Amino acid sequence: MLANIFVNTLIHASVYALLALGFSLTFGVARIINLTHTAFYMLAAYLIFTFVGTLGLNSALAILLSIVLVTIIGMLSYKVIIEPLHEHDTTVLIVTIALALAFQEVMLILFGGHFRGVPSLVKGFVTFLGVRVTNQYLVVIAVLSVILVLVWLLLLKTRLGLAIRVTAQDREVANLMGINVSLMSMVTMGLATMLAATAGALVAPIFILEPRMWLQPLTIVLAIVVLGGLGSLKGSVYGAIIIALVETLVVFLVPMGSFLRGAVSLAIMIIILIIRPEGLFGVSFEGER
Amino acid sequence: MTGYLYHLYQAFKEEILFLPSRLIALVGIIALVLLPLFSQSPYTLKVFTLASIFAILAASWDLLSGFVGQLNLGHALFFGVAAYTSALLNLHYGLSPWMTIPLGALMAVVTGMLVGIPALRLRGQYLSLATLAFPLILTGIIYVFPDFTGGELGVSGLSRLSNSRLADYYITVGLALGLGFLMWKITDSKIGLIFHAIREDEIAVRAAGINTTKYKLLAFAFSGFFAGISGGLYAHVMRLAGPSTLDVFMSFQPIIWTAFGGIATIYGAIIGVYLLYPFMEVLRIVPEYRMLIFAVIIILVLRIMPQGLSPWVIERIQKECPRCKRHNAFTRKTCKACGTSLEKPSLGGDSFKLEVKTSE
Amino acid sequence: MKQKKGLVWIALILLLAFAAAGCGSSGEEPTAKEEVIRVAVAGPMAFVQGEHHWMGAEMAAQEINDAGGIKVGDKNYKYELIKVDTNELMSVSDAATAVERAITEQKADFITGTIRTEAALAIQDVAMDYKKIFMVAGASFIGLADKVEEDYERYKYWFRISPINGNLLAQTSLLLLQDVSKVLREDLNIETPKVALVFEKAQAGDALAAAAQQVVPSFGMEVVGLWRPSPTATDLTAELTAIQDSGAHIIYTYFSAASGVPYAKQWGELQIPAVSVGINVEAQAQGFMAATDGRGNYEYTLNTYGPVEITDKTLPFYNEFIKRNGEYPTYNAGGTYDSLYILKEAIERAGTLDQDAIVVEMEKTDMDSTIGRFVFDEKHDVTWGPGYVTAVGTQWQDGKLVCTWPNGWQGITYPGTVEYKLPPWVVEAYK
Repeated sequence: MLANIFVNTLIHASVYALLALGFSLTFGVARIINLTHTAFYMLAAYLIFTFVGTLGLNSALAILLSIVLVTIIGMLSYKVIIEPLHEHDTTVLIVTIALALAFQEVMLILFGGHFRGVPSLVKGFVTFLGVRVTNQYLVVIAVLSVILVLVWLLLLKTRLGLAIRVTAQDREVANLMGINVSLMSMVTMGLATMLAATAGALVAPIFILEPRMWLQPLTIVLAIVVLGGLGSLKGSVYGAIIIALVETLVVFLVPMGSFLRGAVSLAIMIIILIIRPEGLFGVSFEGER
Repeated sequence: MTGYLYHLYQAFKEEILFLPSRLIALVGIIALVLLPLFSQSPYTLKVFTLASIFAILAASWDLLSGFVGQLNLGHALFFGVAAYTSALLNLHYGLSPWMTIPLGALMAVVTGMLVGIPALRLRGQYLSLATLAFPLILTGIIYVFPDFTGGELGVSGLSRLSNSRLADYYITVGLALGLGFLMWKITDSKIGLIFHAIREDEIAVRAAGINTTKYKLLAFAFSGFFAGISGGLYAHVMRLAGPSTLDVFMSFQPIIWTAFGGIATIYGAIIGVYLLYPFMEVLRIVPEYRMLIFAVIIILVLRIMPQGLSPWVIERIQKECPRCKRHNAFTRKTCKACGTSLEKPSLGGDSFKLEVKTSE
Repeated sequence: MKQKKGLVWIALILLLAFAAAGCGSSGEEPTAKEEVIRVAVAGPMAFVQGEHHWMGAEMAAQEINDAGGIKVGDKNYKYELIKVDTNELMSVSDAATAVERAITEQKADFITGTIRTEAALAIQDVAMDYKKIFMVAGASFIGLADKVEEDYERYKYWFRISPINGNLLAQTSLLLLQDVSKVLREDLNIETPKVALVFEKAQAGDALAAAAQQVVPSFGMEVVGLWRPSPTATDLTAELTAIQDSGAHIIYTYFSAASGVPYAKQWGELQIPAVSVGINVEAQAQGFMAATDGRGNYEYTLNTYGPVEITDKTLPFYNEFIKRNGEYPTYNAGGTYDSLYILKEAIERAGTLDQDAIVVEMEKTDMDSTIGRFVFDEKHDVTWGPGYVTAVGTQWQDGKLVCTWPNGWQGITYPGTVEYKLPPWVVEAYK
């Protein structure tokens, strides 16, 4: 049972972390709660479905193409729709909901409300500590590790990363220092959508495709980033682990209540927030106006 | 007596007829009151009955989130709690809607306090995202006790709000307008001023010696109460209270309506619902594209008018006198009260244009 | 300048809205001037369930109209269908208003369709308010029928066409479970098979959970655990590994919604050494194989249709449906299809379009429908049992849906039934 819990926590945490990283990044740098985030994840999954299923491309090519396309769509939607509204917090929030709804409806019109599947990159399973794990999950874990290293290198070892971090820390000062804040926000948005698209490409074969598939991961992602502290990448990873652990524990300890795993993890989030109002690794907003 | 009437007429002329925005509001209210004269189709009445219920919900969201700035992404919590409370009281204890709706609203107030206390520790985006969680947690709890709550089926077979559609219509329209006016008055009062100040700069308000926690809790209570009335009405009009009243979508809807109509105005929220809800019904002729058109219109409207529809319109049909701050119709050239010219001073016009020369 | 730009945008939006309104209304003009009976086909039209409602109704209406329509006295009527998108999966209030609109604005005389129980309850009340016959083709909740018993005068206009009600579905799925346990005993010598119960968190699942924990041991099996995932769960890996841990030989399922797909996909991918049997509504649909990437092979579910001859109407309907739509029919499609035939006969017997008179004749229905001999019980529900509607068990074998039950149960074997197959990895694990 312990091995089971450990392995399940590990695989779910990596899926959640992959989804949450981009969201957290967008908030940290562009200061935007982008509720469209998981809709980009859905978009990527459907694009791959079209490329592989309808156009007959091979999986790897389809994944690359869809990641590129979704990244472009993400950056465009930021530039055209979100950035001009940047001053109005609530409006941005609503526009991103509306955008996600619009994507959902387009998918519904194009593909109908059918459950679809994307073939896994690698089939079969391995047995790890006596627990069966599908190979697709191993791919997720591997890609996530690579992405974590790459994002870390990008943020800490490059000039672009420096600019992004400065923007994240203080937009106004960054602007005064000659950093193109708007460009940095857009680059971050592109990066974030790319991460969402990657998640779509890797996770979609495990889950199912349907036009409302963005909503459920969205609440999980929100719980993770809030719990970890908005804008903190480290927080997102820890948040993902905590939520995954809670969900797994619910399934294993209270099998009759496994439908409650979402509710329990949200409750844990609330409890942690009551103890630490700015999340585990978030910055206190007390003085900010 | 005639003098008094004349005085009233004068006030009416001054305060309403000469201000296009109030005139529009008056026409809208009259249209709502007279609507049944033109169509008694139960369908039309039902659409506007539901619109009225949601208008209360949207306005109550605006009171808490627009005015006090406590951006609540889980407003369905109040709506759902009240709907379930009303439904259960009606079904198990046979109380009439006149009892269950206020009791449901009180339950929503209690919920508002329960949620408000932990939520007060949270600031800004954390508060929004935490509030999103509450209705989802409650949904989980509802599924745990299916014998009591009906699980995913909800509680059905409730008694009607009244005996006829027409009465339903007038009750809900009357409540929407009355409660809307009440909320607007609240925001216009001293309490409203403090609400507004908390949104703008909470630290400054606290520095002024005002207990902001108390006022924020008050806002949660007010908002919960009005949202609760709307939830109770919904349960009795639909004759059903189910988990769909706690949906994420149910939380998003009032936000969308309010943002469309104009945040932090109360009337904007109400206008937003009365425009968008019937519009969604019109779109039934293209069922496949209904939600898409809805989403695209929201995006376009907010892209052009980030503040929402009504402030945008008011800005164009009314001018504020630069001296005495009175509102004037856009047709006037001078202020009605003090005679100041309302023409925009030509600042920034050609005469002031600065030539910036850059050395190459 | 900025102001003008805004106005242009507004004009564009209005144009868009009117254009949309325009192209929609053109499709709604009444086409025929002859006498028609308007039937509202209500379902979530953007989703597969609603599509099937519509496909089934369209097919029946066409067949009936082509064959001369419906005789009422000496007049001939034709069916005219109204497509009502209830959007019920997203919004229950939408569903109720959509049906009310169909009745009052579009003058629908009868209603068929709907799947989500919460919506069906709301629509039931709307239909009863207007005293219009409402034939459910999808929602299985027994409470809908209980209302007919509780308040007959109000609810007598309600009928269920498909599927059989939730309690009967549960009972019948237990028969499938017994069938599978027999195979395990005979082929793999497992004397007391261990059963893991996986029922989604829904009312029907609650009832089944209570019943199964009592009944399953009496079948000579042992219950090793009960899991209740959410109907919208997207990942059941944790549940599945826990089930494997429990040493179960059989996974007895109840999935009415989305979660049935990832369940079957992950079950097949991980090759959990336990056979899967029960109810998995998604496994009844054509898209199941593709959605599970082929992993759903060997999934065994209770179903309404299979490629077997239940009555002489089944196969013509089944094959014609596949020919027209390229998909297996589901109980949603069959429900609306049968409802139009049942209604036609009732109207013709009544010889009038008076709803109360038709209700009386509906109650006397005794005909072969596509799912068996169709008789309403006193609650206006589908009568189940040998000689009536039994439902069937279908298994996915080599990417095809085949019928494996009833195979000798109460002496019934519908022509075309084949043998149940154990998944090879299960045979491997216990040989």
